[in-house]
Amino acid sequence: MSASLLILIPLLPLIGFLINGIGFRRVPKGAVGVIGSLAALGSFAVSVAVLSAFKAAGSEPQVVSLFDWITVGNLNIPFSFQIDQLSLLMLMIVTGVGSLIHIYSIGYMKHDEGFGKFFAFLNLFLFFMLLLVMGSNYVIMFIGWEGVGLCSYLLIGFWNTNTNYNNAARKAFIMNRIGDLGFLLGIFTIIATFGSVEYTEVFSQATGLSIGDPVVVTITLLLFVGAMGKSAQIPLFTWLPDAMAGPTPVSALIHAATMVTAGIYMVIRSNVLYSLAPFTLEVISIVGIATVLLAASIGLLQNDIKKVLAYSTVSQLGYMFVALGVMAYSASMFHVITHAFFKALLFLGAGSVIHAMSDEQDIRSMGGLRKKLPITFLTFLIGTIAIAGIPPFAGFFSKDEILAHAYEHNKLLWALGVLGSLMTSFYMFRLLFLTFFGQFRGTHEQEHHLHESPAAMTIPLVILAIFSAVGGFMGVPEALGGTHQLAEFMSPLYEGARQVNPEAFAATTLSHSEEFMLMGISVAAALIAAIAAYVMYVSRNSVPAPDTAERSSLERLVYNKYYVDELYNGVFVKPIAGLSNLLYSFGEFFIDLIVLGTGRLVKGVSGQLRQTQTGSVGYYIFAMVVGIVAILFWNLLIR
Amino acid sequence: MNTTYLPSDFLPIVVQLGLALAFIVGTMIVTHLIGPSRKSSLKDDPFECGIEVKGNARTPISVKYFLVAILFVLFDVEVIFMYPWAVNFRQLGMLGFIEMLLFMALLLAGFYYIIRKGVLKWEE
Amino acid sequence: MYPIILLSVLGIVVLFLGFMKSKNILLPATLLFLALALGSNFIDWNQGPLLYFYGMFSVTNLTLAFNAIVLISAFLIVAMTRGFQDDEEAQPAEYYGIMLFSLVGAIMIIGYEHLIIFFVGIEILSVAMYILTGSDKRNLRSNEASLKYFLMGAFATGIMLFGIALLYGATGAFSLTGIRGFVSTAAGAQSYILYAGLLLLLIGMLFKVSAAPFHFWTPDVYDGAPSIFTTFMSTIVKTAGFAAIFRLLSHSFAGIYDFWYITLAVITVLTLFVGNVVAVYQDSFKRMMAYSSISHAGYLLIALTALTAQTERSILFYSMAYSVATISAFGVLMLIAKEKSLDGRPNESYDAFNGLAKQNPLLAFVLTVSMLSLAGIPLTAGFWGKFFVFSSAADRGLIWMLVVAVLMSAVGIYYYFRVVIASYMKEGNTGKIRVAPFYQIVLVAATVITILFGLAPGFFEQLL
Repeated sequence: MSASLLILIPLLPLIGFLINGIGFRRVPKGAVGVIGSLAALGSFAVSVAVLSAFKAAGSEPQVVSLFDWITVGNLNIPFSFQIDQLSLLMLMIVTGVGSLIHIYSIGYMKHDEGFGKFFAFLNLFLFFMLLLVMGSNYVIMFIGWEGVGLCSYLLIGFWNTNTNYNNAARKAFIMNRIGDLGFLLGIFTIIATFGSVEYTEVFSQATGLSIGDPVVVTITLLLFVGAMGKSAQIPLFTWLPDAMAGPTPVSALIHAATMVTAGIYMVIRSNVLYSLAPFTLEVISIVGIATVLLAASIGLLQNDIKKVLAYSTVSQLGYMFVALGVMAYSASMFHVITHAFFKALLFLGAGSVIHAMSDEQDIRSMGGLRKKLPITFLTFLIGTIAIAGIPPFAGFFSKDEILAHAYEHNKLLWALGVLGSLMTSFYMFRLLFLTFFGQFRGTHEQEHHLHESPAAMTIPLVILAIFSAVGGFMGVPEALGGTHQLAEFMSPLYEGARQVNPEAFAATTLSHSEEFMLMGISVAAALIAAIAAYVMYVSRNSVPAPDTAERSSLERLVYNKYYVDELYNGVFVKPIAGLSNLLYSFGEFFIDLIVLGTGRLVKGVSGQLRQTQTGSVGYYIFAMVVGIVAILFWNLLIR
Repeated sequence: MNTTYLPSDFLPIVVQLGLALAFIVGTMIVTHLIGPSRKSSLKDDPFECGIEVKGNARTPISVKYFLVAILFVLFDVEVIFMYPWAVNFRQLGMLGFIEMLLFMALLLAGFYYIIRKGVLKWEE
Repeated sequence: MYPIILLSVLGIVVLFLGFMKSKNILLPATLLFLALALGSNFIDWNQGPLLYFYGMFSVTNLTLAFNAIVLISAFLIVAMTRGFQDDEEAQPAEYYGIMLFSLVGAIMIIGYEHLIIFFVGIEILSVAMYILTGSDKRNLRSNEASLKYFLMGAFATGIMLFGIALLYGATGAFSLTGIRGFVSTAAGAQSYILYAGLLLLLIGMLFKVSAAPFHFWTPDVYDGAPSIFTTFMSTIVKTAGFAAIFRLLSHSFAGIYDFWYITLAVITVLTLFVGNVVAVYQDSFKRMMAYSSISHAGYLLIALTALTAQTERSILFYSMAYSVATISAFGVLMLIAKEKSLDGRPNESYDAFNGLAKQNPLLAFVLTVSMLSLAGIPLTAGFWGKFFVFSSAADRGLIWMLVVAVLMSAVGIYYYFRVVIASYMKEGNTGKIRVAPFYQIVLVAATVITILFGLAPGFFEQLL
């Protein structure tokens, strides 16, 4: 595999970014979309070529070093790409789904003033995301990690005339930064422990450690903090629903299919370390399942079409973490893949609806759209069935695999998982029914304007719908007489982990009949929830009450998202602001005096003023003296 | 040379310090006690060589006074470097002579600068 | 060594050039002189460690690299001073001359081998700064800042001198090697006079680089001084000051690391805390930059506290990244403040940046890159600066300090991004802002350096 071919993958989007970014408002509008989409498609094509070359060469993982990057003491960080099963899978998702979303955006963003800027940012995002998944060490991953965060910030605040949108962007960025801190500290701990950041080096050294080594537990916990931020897990999840302020293709690409799965990628990448740290895994599964339930229950009562999907994303990410927590790394990756298909599809479908509804997002004003938007309806239906976990669509296989692993690990975990999938099915069908069935509830103007979206938007929908329908067949469980191609493909990744923790990778102890029972229960749960939703929203035709309506206290709690935002405000924001204020006034009180005094001096009043001035310098020096005395006292007398 | 001192070696200094302090404090107390104390407006007036006091003491003074004073100190102090040089003139030899010439040249450059700047023009 | 002599002489030449009728020659002449000094700096390159002036001044490749950073920063800053001569009352020749002289002081404290040279150097540097701070003569805030700086600086100098005296008393030596010789003896490692001397000297030095709790002068002085000299202070004084502290600690006192590192660690954490947290609540961009400079002193102190084999390079890289980013930030600030002046006074609040992206996209871009670099976002030089500094702390096992530093760098994002948000996302008036070509070159050069070293930090290592 030649380095020049590999470097093309991230380079093409970068070139696209440079052309559209530098030539913003100069590149003709028709060319902008073509350039942006070609960049994405080009790197998709190269990725496919690399994948086939990889398979032809016997599926041997490879590290392709491009150049020596930095050397700090004994620490040498090369700029190199690692090509193995995991990075290839991620490459396929990122470039594949990315290309479709680029094409979709040509139609969706056509009337926007910042069309060129949008494509430039989108390409830049792709570039960083590709760096993230291709890098062969934690530093490159971190750079990609920060980069995608930055792009997500730029794209959430894309319609930046609206202050709320800006706040959402800033919230996303700061929350991500909190996570990144954990990641960064994890990297430094890795450097201090292993003296390297290269995956191959770190993992081969890690195989020499024993299970539950406190250093590994620390590292994995720190890295997991990073994953919590990026993949929106409790408690760092509130930014993701707010991030829906960005244009819909952005929500589909960044906040559903790719960026938010970076945390899962990182954990799978570090599977050796995680397999060594059972405590961390325990934490991960608890956080994961709590996120599943919390987000799914919030999703039950949301009325904004994108918010429902956002909470659903958070809860699906929770499932992936549950899988990671029980060391079902392949199952987690499987869900990442299928989720990328159906969630991108759902978001794009929602975008199509919003487009048709002239930017209306409230499902209470929709209804009966299935006749006006047939393609959107059909694809949205497929996506809904897929996410609800009804066979034989993609979501069924991946979610079921996760639940089976959870069952093996801990029955309670499984039961809660099924409860979550029940809620998932309910809120998704509720969304579907409220949007596409019944009578139209919007204004006349909107009804008049209703139209199916252009081909640039519907073609990606159809392609994604096909994948959502059949994508699950890459991992048919043995019980159903299939072969799990994905797990086989990925199994070389876990050699190190298998070495350190062989029990975790032992063959399943579940009998086929048990597996059938599990499948049956989860499918039944999904169907029951779907029927319940049908009865409520189609047969009875009930529409959720407007915001002002009276709600029972439990309902209110869920409707207001458990007051998590308010809690944050009270616990973190206010005390920090208070502390800052305090420090601020400490220094600023005197400065204010001086500034005021200077103003008076200009007016010719001097007598009193000189005193305040000397007073303040005196205060400064007094503070210094206190510092000096404290330092001397402590060093010379106390020690 | 003896480089280690015992604390007792510092005793003479302590004695001298004590005597000095005692003298000052003592004279202050004694004059206060034995001198007569009378107060009158005439006596409390500031005494300035017999001339009556006029106006405020804090009148603005031309910046030129300060400039000249500072320049005086500057050149005065720099010339002090000539003394050790003169004492060691022979040992320092030609190199020392050239170095001193350079030093003087720099000083003179500064002097020329001052004159060009008009610092010494009193009337302006 | 050569730049010291050259700059001293050329500084005088600049003073005399001021007597010429046309002031237009001053700026090109100063730039030429700085370029000459920079060239002469490299005469000693790769000549191995050299000692000059009877063993009182040392030259190695790393001190030359520090000199180069200082000189290049000075070059960029001086290049932005166009318009000095427009003011009748201003005396550009004096300011240029003083800037050159102050560089002499900076270079002296970068390479001192003898505490007297250090003291003379830091006094040259400080006195020059007192004058430059007050150079906006008709502005009371500038005068006030200057006086305040002078008073506090004099106090710190006293403390420092006391420290030097105690060190001499304890060790009988002024030279760094002599002090190290004493420290390595058993008696030296226990000497309380030595400890007191080291602490006092250190306190004096920390005052100059504005570490908490000796930072109180910084916001007032940075705010009061004309922006161009604030830039000068926050880049050159800081770079040289940290080179000097590093020299003292690594050459003489590495043997009693266990004694001083805790004190330094506490000061580091305090500095990081004060700098970052108070910066959040500033409404003036310039004042924010003052607090930001305090916080960057904190990051540099981390490297000092760790004192590993890599520390000097970390400090070097960090100072470079910080200086370049600061220069471009202040460069933009000066333009904007002048453009949007209120009642004849430059407007230095955040609001002045509203809608900058529409008025001049280049300026907005330059500002954004510099803010990203200061905040330590990847692919800018600032990120690698932080990375090197943090990894040296990790090497020492100072994880708790690292946690604070990383947290504080998150706080930093908040206030650095405020101005980016203002320039891209807020509406301002739409008049275009024109930038003189020369100015533009400086800003672009600084931005290119930031991005270049952000993409390939290894390149910097190869230069050494």
